[in-house]
Amino acid sequence: MERQSTGKLDRRRFLKRGLAGGAILIAAGTLPFAFRTTAIARRPRGPLRLLSIEEYAVLDAIAARIVPGDQRGKPWPSAYDLDCAGKIDGLMATLHPEVGSDFRRLLRLIESGLLATFIAGSPRPFTRATPHDQDARLEAWRRSRFALLRSGYQAVKRLVHATYYSSPEIYALIGYPGPPVVPPVPPAGGPT
Amino acid sequence: MSSARRPGRFVTGAELPASSSIEVDYVVVGSGAGGGVAAAVLAEAGARVVVLEEGGHYTRADFNMQEAWVYPALYQEHGNRCTDDLSIIILQGRNVGGGTTVNWTSSFRTPEATLRLWADQHGVRDLDSAVLAPHFAAAEARLDVADGNPDDVNANNRTLLDGGRKLGWNPQLIRRSVRGCARLGYCGMGCPIDAKRSSRTTYLADAVAAGADVYSDCRVKLIETDRGQARTAVAEVLDRAADRPRGRLVAHARKGIVLAGGAINTPALLLRSKAGNDNGVVGKRTFLHPTVPVVAFYDQPIEAFYGPPQSVAIHHFADRGARVGYFFETAPVHPMLGALAFPGFGDSHRRITERLPYVQATIALLIDGHHGDGGGDITVNEAGRIGLRYPLHESLHEAAIDALGNMARLQLAAGAREVMTLHETPIVIRSEADIAGIARAPFGANQHTMFSAHQMGGCPMGSDPRRSVVDARGRHHQIENLFITDGSIFPTPLGVNPQLSIYAHARLFATEIARKA
Repeated sequence: MERQSTGKLDRRRFLKRGLAGGAILIAAGTLPFAFRTTAIARRPRGPLRLLSIEEYAVLDAIAARIVPGDQRGKPWPSAYDLDCAGKIDGLMATLHPEVGSDFRRLLRLIESGLLATFIAGSPRPFTRATPHDQDARLEAWRRSRFALLRSGYQAVKRLVHATYYSSPEIYALIGYPGPPVVPPVPPAGGPT
Repeated sequence: MSSARRPGRFVTGAELPASSSIEVDYVVVGSGAGGGVAAAVLAEAGARVVVLEEGGHYTRADFNMQEAWVYPALYQEHGNRCTDDLSIIILQGRNVGGGTTVNWTSSFRTPEATLRLWADQHGVRDLDSAVLAPHFAAAEARLDVADGNPDDVNANNRTLLDGGRKLGWNPQLIRRSVRGCARLGYCGMGCPIDAKRSSRTTYLADAVAAGADVYSDCRVKLIETDRGQARTAVAEVLDRAADRPRGRLVAHARKGIVLAGGAINTPALLLRSKAGNDNGVVGKRTFLHPTVPVVAFYDQPIEAFYGPPQSVAIHHFADRGARVGYFFETAPVHPMLGALAFPGFGDSHRRITERLPYVQATIALLIDGHHGDGGGDITVNEAGRIGLRYPLHESLHEAAIDALGNMARLQLAAGAREVMTLHETPIVIRSEADIAGIARAPFGANQHTMFSAHQMGGCPMGSDPRRSVVDARGRHHQIENLFITDGSIFPTPLGVNPQLSIYAHARLFATEIARKA
């Protein structure tokens, strides 16, 4: 994939990048203290089904940057207003248990100051970084040469956007009138 | 025979005890296009049939047109199915009715060129358009597939018609499987008025009327074989809210087992069962019609969230000789689906979503598997997790660049103010001169948005048992009473939307099974 995207990489360099990506994945599994310094800004709105409170806090912090509230004079709800992190927790609890484990590991990786030093030059955990730095880190993941980091960015990006934009509270803000009124008489008959 | 039989029932997992077993003539795994028609044909021939469906049983009263409910309830992996690297978002149904509950109703017969390719290069014998014709005709009648209707064309699709005509690309109206369509625009969310002729509202209803039972919330984990015969399907009974097992159902098959769980779950079931894969073919050559979208912005509202989602197709580029072909259709732009597809986050993403009513979405479906690209591989690990590794072959890159450029031309011809690719750094096209920039943009995993709504292959049919899994009547080469009737049997992608081809092939196969029983 890296070869295809640049068209210039020889196999040796590709392997090197691939190995580096693998090393990051392994590192994610050996960060037992990644959450020791996690800042818990907001409490979950309900009981968590999959995530720990620290994992929830990281996800909540990510969601706050992916869909920042109240911008440019419009009353956009925040991700917390719409309980994006809580809804994602509930959704992930219904997927294959390994998917849930991978997701928790991803949150650990995003929070990791060690990795942040490596990719963004800042040792702070994600939850303790400034909004500006948090955006820069998400950008670094999004545009990373490591396929693994791009996948990680897409995972959180899609989950947050899915929960936020499927909320009826957003509809009017984006000019969506919502589902139409269903005609009262079923025209086709058949099973209900 | 069927007239004397008592109608069957729809049974949900919540009604089942912690442990139960049943014995029938045929166990059908999956209730979409392939499972529904197989169950109907076999039950109407007098066989005792049970359909086991992993997803829930929902009806029109449940279909609330809210994406927050729809995707978790009606789609595989609660709307989260993807290739392993998350590069391709896979939209695939998981409910009673399967993909037909949530597809966009587009109905095409298998193209002649595809049937010829299968015969010439994939060893498919005794299968041509003449053999399939009566089964297409029957399926079209049952599904109310009619000629494309100009009144179905919403503004989103109108751009394909207008732009395509200006460019001489021969846009065609799509035949749709509907009756009494109110043109709401929510086919992908379950039709709230049952105007869509889905498997649930047609063939499954026929099957139940003829005595078949349809068990929902039952995920078949294993097929057990004995002395070359498929004997038993072992299912987990799921707690629907938690999507976790709450019981076990064992279904014994006196005559045979029909697999119709779709082109990802059927190969996965065989791999998990360690059955019927002596030649190592199962799960290989899985194809997706990888789909690259563009969005176009118009000065006037398009409202691509309303109206039939697909009514116009352009197949002008389906045959590009030695290069990968593609075809154009549209996608509806509801808030969540749009937000998923739009690149970026924060303010840059919001600047796109704010223009939602003015967004038009064109999609190019790349016809993978016809030109040497090998598709993807299905895997199942020890924990039972299904994977799909799908490398993006260089030939798809070339096709994607060509398709993106032509979609931009199409939309500019139709009057778009600007067209935007969905690369992470989008290419904005306002004139022909901007199109060259597409070729310089990165291509690869998570460099741009890709979807798949058409999963095919993995258990290909063919006459050579070394290269294929079933014969051209769906019968497994090694397990003689095991049949496959879903999209996994296609040796290559179709080059058109697959639902009607699955119905027709499944009807042919099931008719043969019933005749020889």
